[in-house]
Amino acid sequence: MANVQMPAQNLPAGRGDNAFVAGLRRILRDPFSVAALVIYVLLVLVAIFADQLMTHDPTQIQFRANGRVATNQPVSEAFLLGTTNLGRDIYSQLIAGSRNALMVGVTAAISVAALGTLVGLLSGYFGGRIDAFLMRLADVALAIPFLPFVIVLSGFFRANTWNVVIAVALLLWPNTARVIRSQVLTVKERAYVEAARVTGASDLRILFVHVAPNILPLTFLYGSVAIGWAILTEAAVSFVGFGDPSRISWGFMLQDAFVSQALSRGSWNWFLPPGLCIILVVIAGFFLARGAEEVLFPKLRS
Amino acid sequence: MSRSFSRRQALIITGATTLLSTTALTPLAFAQGAGDPVRKIVLITDTQGAAPQAYQAGQLIAQAWKQLGLDVEARPMARQAQSDLVWFNRDKWDTTMWRMVGRPERSDPDEMTFNLFHSSTAPRGFNFVGYNSPEYDKVAEQQRQTVDPAARQNLIKQAQQIISRDAPYAFLVHPNTLQAFNQNVFDPASIVVQKGVGIRNFWTFIGATPKGTQKAMIINSGTALQAIHPLYIAGAPDSWMNELIWDRLVRIGPDGLPRPWAAESFKFVDDKTVDVVIRGDMIFHDGKPVTIDDVIFSFEAPLTTDKSPMFKPFVTDIDRIEKTGERAMRIHLKRINAAFATTALGRVFIVPKHVWEPHLKSVEGKPDTLESIRDPMNVGSGPFRQVRARLNEEVVIERHAGHWAAPKVDRVVLRVIPNAEAVVGMVRSGEINLLSEYGGDPDVLEKLSKDNPAIKLTQVTDVGIEFMAFNNRRPPFDDPVFRSALSAAIDRNVIIQAAWNGYAVESISHVSPAIDFWHSTEVKAPATGIALAKSILDKAGYKVEGGRLRYPPGKKETLQPPG
Amino acid sequence: MGFALRRLAHSLFVLWAVVTILFLMFRLMPGNPLAAYINEQLSEDDQRLIMAQFGLNRPLYEQYVIYLWNLLQGNLGMSFFRREPVWDVLKSALPNTLILTITGLVIAYIFGILTGAWLATKRGTLAEAVIVPAALATRAAPEFWIGMILLTIFAFTFGWFPSGGANSAGAAYTSEWDRILSRDYVLHLVLPALTLALYLQGLPLLLMRSTMLEILHDEFITMAKIKGLSPWRITIHHAARNALLPVVTAFALGLGATLGGNVVVETVFSWPGLGRLLVAAVAQSDYPLAQGAFFLISLVLIILNLIVDLVYGWLDPRVSHG
Repeated sequence: MANVQMPAQNLPAGRGDNAFVAGLRRILRDPFSVAALVIYVLLVLVAIFADQLMTHDPTQIQFRANGRVATNQPVSEAFLLGTTNLGRDIYSQLIAGSRNALMVGVTAAISVAALGTLVGLLSGYFGGRIDAFLMRLADVALAIPFLPFVIVLSGFFRANTWNVVIAVALLLWPNTARVIRSQVLTVKERAYVEAARVTGASDLRILFVHVAPNILPLTFLYGSVAIGWAILTEAAVSFVGFGDPSRISWGFMLQDAFVSQALSRGSWNWFLPPGLCIILVVIAGFFLARGAEEVLFPKLRS
Repeated sequence: MSRSFSRRQALIITGATTLLSTTALTPLAFAQGAGDPVRKIVLITDTQGAAPQAYQAGQLIAQAWKQLGLDVEARPMARQAQSDLVWFNRDKWDTTMWRMVGRPERSDPDEMTFNLFHSSTAPRGFNFVGYNSPEYDKVAEQQRQTVDPAARQNLIKQAQQIISRDAPYAFLVHPNTLQAFNQNVFDPASIVVQKGVGIRNFWTFIGATPKGTQKAMIINSGTALQAIHPLYIAGAPDSWMNELIWDRLVRIGPDGLPRPWAAESFKFVDDKTVDVVIRGDMIFHDGKPVTIDDVIFSFEAPLTTDKSPMFKPFVTDIDRIEKTGERAMRIHLKRINAAFATTALGRVFIVPKHVWEPHLKSVEGKPDTLESIRDPMNVGSGPFRQVRARLNEEVVIERHAGHWAAPKVDRVVLRVIPNAEAVVGMVRSGEINLLSEYGGDPDVLEKLSKDNPAIKLTQVTDVGIEFMAFNNRRPPFDDPVFRSALSAAIDRNVIIQAAWNGYAVESISHVSPAIDFWHSTEVKAPATGIALAKSILDKAGYKVEGGRLRYPPGKKETLQPPG
Repeated sequence: MGFALRRLAHSLFVLWAVVTILFLMFRLMPGNPLAAYINEQLSEDDQRLIMAQFGLNRPLYEQYVIYLWNLLQGNLGMSFFRREPVWDVLKSALPNTLILTITGLVIAYIFGILTGAWLATKRGTLAEAVIVPAALATRAAPEFWIGMILLTIFAFTFGWFPSGGANSAGAAYTSEWDRILSRDYVLHLVLPALTLALYLQGLPLLLMRSTMLEILHDEFITMAKIKGLSPWRITIHHAARNALLPVVTAFALGLGATLGGNVVVETVFSWPGLGRLLVAAVAQSDYPLAQGAFFLISLVLIILNLIVDLVYGWLDPRVSHG
């Protein structure tokens, strides 16, 4: 993960909307960020229109004209990416997988962003014992090996896609929290925050009305990277055999290909597309984060 | 008031009775129509990754049953969760895919015949479907006590007929085991194909003759070993090693029948007494000779103590053992067991008393068993001795020159390779020269063999069975007619082609054709077909209404599908 | 010295917290641990015996204390199915995991840092436009996917490397050191370590590049004002040292997420390490073994983290004396 631990930079302060719009415009000028947005839009569209885009039922066994199961069919008009070892249409499975990817990615991103932001806000604003406790918690969360944790969750509870989301939320919030915390520490000293405190606004109000808007861009940034993490983790867990057996996902497809020895058979049409899709979606998150970095940390602009 | 009714009253009474009788009869009229709709049926299957053939078969079966008007869900579950539900919660599931794994000891039909269907094993043992038939119980008990092979064969045939008729399972297939070996390394004539097992059998291990400079046999396992131990059964690859390091009195030959091995001879003096004479030329790996005391100890340790719980059931029929000579012993049985040679003499490993007796004393009075005690040298008297055991990577055993049937290869190396693709690559490159375990796609192996003439493929029908189990305890599966209808709806040929890729043979009963002495050809496969299934159901009173199959009239649905 | 002690104390605290979470995670698992162990003839008495043997019938609090006490003595419990002390099972796998992890890390970081520093001087060139997305792509691809492709190409097709395992069949060595340093072992190590390195190098590469850019930007302007001093040498020397700091920090923070005992790499290459053991143990519900493997993996991470903290302290004197 392009995990940038930059010293807290000064965000354009107090000019909420304008800074956001200006930032957005700057993002759009970066070709990589644009590519990322395009990929995300594509993903959302494909997921929404999945039913229309699929040519077959992804779980149904397909048969050939002679009554035999259509196993390992090559790319053809009938099966756009060929079929699997058990006679399912690969293309339709790929489309179905986009839904799972979107769902897992977005829920994980929201969870990590929400949890990390919350912790960062509380930690940075209140300081003292709360801060110490939360940062210790962060250290512990970071020390727990991530994939083994997901495997244990999936292995001992029922193997479910939500294990990935829970694990991502529980273990990956520290990075977000740390950065947001240092940002909060900077913002805390600002004049208007002081002013708000002097006028008697409650802590919570200051936190959410004055501090939070300046933090949100960072939240989105780390959230978008978390999408990638969630999808990669889901793929890894499926590969090892602990994936959710009732859903079609790209990770499930790769495990299926692996177990069915697609490579020994030279079925690159089966093995490559899900991997490429994963790379695209994950890299989109990185591009977006990079683009946002340049906005948030302008020192890097040439 | 007099008893005669006025006209008006008569009219009212007539009207009321008519009304009453019609309303009373109406539910009766409806009841004649159909019972409650049958609840949703959940068919538990393996996950696609764990057992693709069973998974695929489950999908096809669910599709077939839907055509009968049933609401079916094929639900994949991880092995753990599946076992937990099916084995430990026997009253909470309806249907599941399941299998009985083929093992050489299962070449005698006793295990399958008794353990699978006798009512005594229903609460906790292998009769997890809860099949209960006094008629069958009698046959199963009798075959165990019938020593005369011809008479016993008849009883086993009867057992197959009853099971085929009652359909406690929907038998699907006996899978074909596909294996391979490198014929540039081994003389093909020396590779033994054992019925129901394949080439990975004891006779191949000791008989395989290397042709050239490579004198080691390199085999593979997809899972790591857990324990090489003569008194503990840990898993399949562990058993392969155990059988080579420790000897047994009797071994199952390539024909599937027991033959004396460490025993020079064994004789049933009468139905409950066996005389055993052991060979005089056996030496343990540490140089000490094998004596009758070692053999008696090996049987008595699980029999008289609780310290070898996994082997205790094999020897429960023994009453006592008396030493009758320098190389002889007499076993007195509590009851007749026709399969004793296979299930007891052919299971217990001969362990050195001088090694294990001290261990036994050390666990006396403690909750520990011998299973947690390790002999680091793993001294045995088998044709191979342990050199090195890294259970997660590789086990190396070497030829024991002092054995009377010393192997032709120098060593056997067992490599743990979980990656199916890698296994194929290794066979091609020669990193494996005998493919002992292959769970992958048969077509890939076929192609490999075609491209590499050095790789020779072998295929045998397994002793094991793959089937779909009904929970005989829960209606409507307690009705044998309902079961046979659902079984008739499954087209076995489609299953063989679509799920097992053609590499399987139809299963009619629990006795595989691989054990041809016991497999009865008189028991025919019942006819199949959706139309046939529908008519069986219809005749038995299960009608389809509104697209849903319903119970016979008057019957209520009282159960819930598993959550 | 105080700094080192403080970091050590911190690490011990984290270790204790992880151990406690581990205990709770495993003990509160649903399902019957005997579910996988369907021995046909195991009577109910025997089942109860096994439960007693493994302490599965004592109250939770007691189990926790027993667990901690055992841990302090180096006793990781008894594997359910292997009937062996967990430590005995794990100790053969531990060196393999350590070597794979360290080799992969070393290759990744040396390559990443050097390339990142070099790339910082190539601002706006074609090299940058190609290498930066490529580095991101290696980070975005599933490890096992890359691993399988490498395995297929280099082992199956070209046959340059073995297809799996850590040693050739039947290879024997007089000691562990001999085995680990043998050509055979190294040959088997190449592909898995390369896969791991390919995955890990993206972070140091990109991070080094961006911090170098920032520093070069400043330093160059400053240095330009000082005449007579060779800008490159001093800049690079001074810049590199400061640029390394965030890389080191990021490394520490990314450890848990990226090095999950190398589970997938070990599965693809049949590498006999802790990750594969963990997967097998979880699949069987062999709780003590799974717990022990998890614990060891965490321990390795915490120790690596501690080393990195100390390195950071050495690199940045402000921290260690602050």
